[in-house]
Order: sequence, then structure tokens, then C-alpha cells
Amino acid sequence: MIREWSSFFVAVFSLIYIYELSLFPSGAKDSALALMRNPGIIAFNVVALVFTLYHAFTWFYLIGKVQPIKMGKTTSKPWQALLVNIVLLLIISYAVIWILVLR
Amino acid sequence: MPKVARLHAILWGVFSMGGFIAAFLLPVLIYLVGIAYPLGLWPVAGGDPTSAILNHHHIGTLFLFVTVAGSLYHGIFRFQSTLTELGLAPAKRALEAIGYLIISVGILAVAYYLLLNPGVLSLP
Repeated sequence: MIREWSSFFVAVFSLIYIYELSLFPSGAKDSALALMRNPGIIAFNVVALVFTLYHAFTWFYLIGKVQPIKMGKTTSKPWQALLVNIVLLLIISYAVIWILVLR
Repeated sequence: MPKVARLHAILWGVFSMGGFIAAFLLPVLIYLVGIAYPLGLWPVAGGDPTSAILNHHHIGTLFLFVTVAGSLYHGIFRFQSTLTELGLAPAKRALEAIGYLIISVGILAVAYYLLLNPGVLSLP
């Protein structure tokens, strides 16, 4: 059930961010940035990140459980799918940061 | 395949794609704009990550659209079906209508506001 409720945080973060994006073109960028610095919003974002990662990690594990990969005589375990996908998540996250923020 | 079953298959397919996006792209966006920026953490100390992302016109805009629209679809779709599983099954139709309304308006809004960003429609 925790997994199902994590979608609530995914949806609410998306709606808050759409509101923030709506303030950018109208020249109210400072209001948008002030909103993201609000302590209540920061606390919500921390909780949303934890739930989003929980949602992702449980999904990675389920992939390994539902669709194990056969390699010769051995079959992959769910924790192996979890590990591979966590590494993939870290690579994608760093690529996003490098391409869109650091460059 | 009947039309309704085909539509359900398409909606669940989009939901799965949204789940993929929410799993791989949403965590880094939440971290950048919601935690690293207000707390002054790496890699956005001092800067505003949304402006930095939008400055990479096409790829930045595409990243924001795919991440926000996909996550919104996935989150609302799953939350609406969770509510029906929690005993709100009699209101299933109404919940679906509200859910799809929020998804449609949200996706159109994110596309509209991103297109208003100067330089988005210019050539690279």
C-alpha cells in the first residue's frame, strides 16, 4: 500500500512544479523561486524524493521478480535487477546534471 | 480487440511509460529544483536549476516536458485507481473523469508554459 501512496507524491510534485513553470514566462520568476525556498515546500520535496525513490526501487525489484533473465543454467535474481537499475538510475541522473546544469 | 479494451491497453501502456519516466528522471528533477536549489547544495549552489535547464533550449525543454507530463500521468492514474481500491469503487467514473481532466489540463499547461519560454522555438 505504501507503494500505491507514493504515486500521490509524484502527482503533487508535478502539479507544484507546473505552477512554478507557469510563473516563469509571466515575469514572476522571483515568486516561483521564493515558492521553492518555502520550508514547507522543501519538507514536502524531501518526502516526495524518498517516496519517489521507494516507488522506483520497488518497481526495479518487481521487474526482476516478474521477468527473470536466463543466462545459461542460471536465472537472474530480483536483487540483481534492483542493483543494475539503481546503477542505471545513477548514470542517468548524473548525465542529466552534467548535460543540463554543469555544461 | 474491442474499442474499449484497446483504449484501456493504450492508457495502461502510457501509464507504464510514465512509470519508467517517474523512476528514472523524476528523482533528479526533485533533487535539483526542490532540494539542491533551496538548500544551496551541489550542483546548483547559487543558481536556479529551472533557468539552467531552460537555457539548453530544445533538450532542456524536452526533458522538462517528458518528465513532468509523464510523472503527472503516472501519479494521477495510479492514485485514482488506488482510491477506487480503497472503497471508493462506486465513485469510479467520477474519479476517472476528475483524474483525466487533471492529466489533460496539466499536460496542456506544461506544454503551453514551456513554449512561452523565449528561444524554445528557435533553431539550435
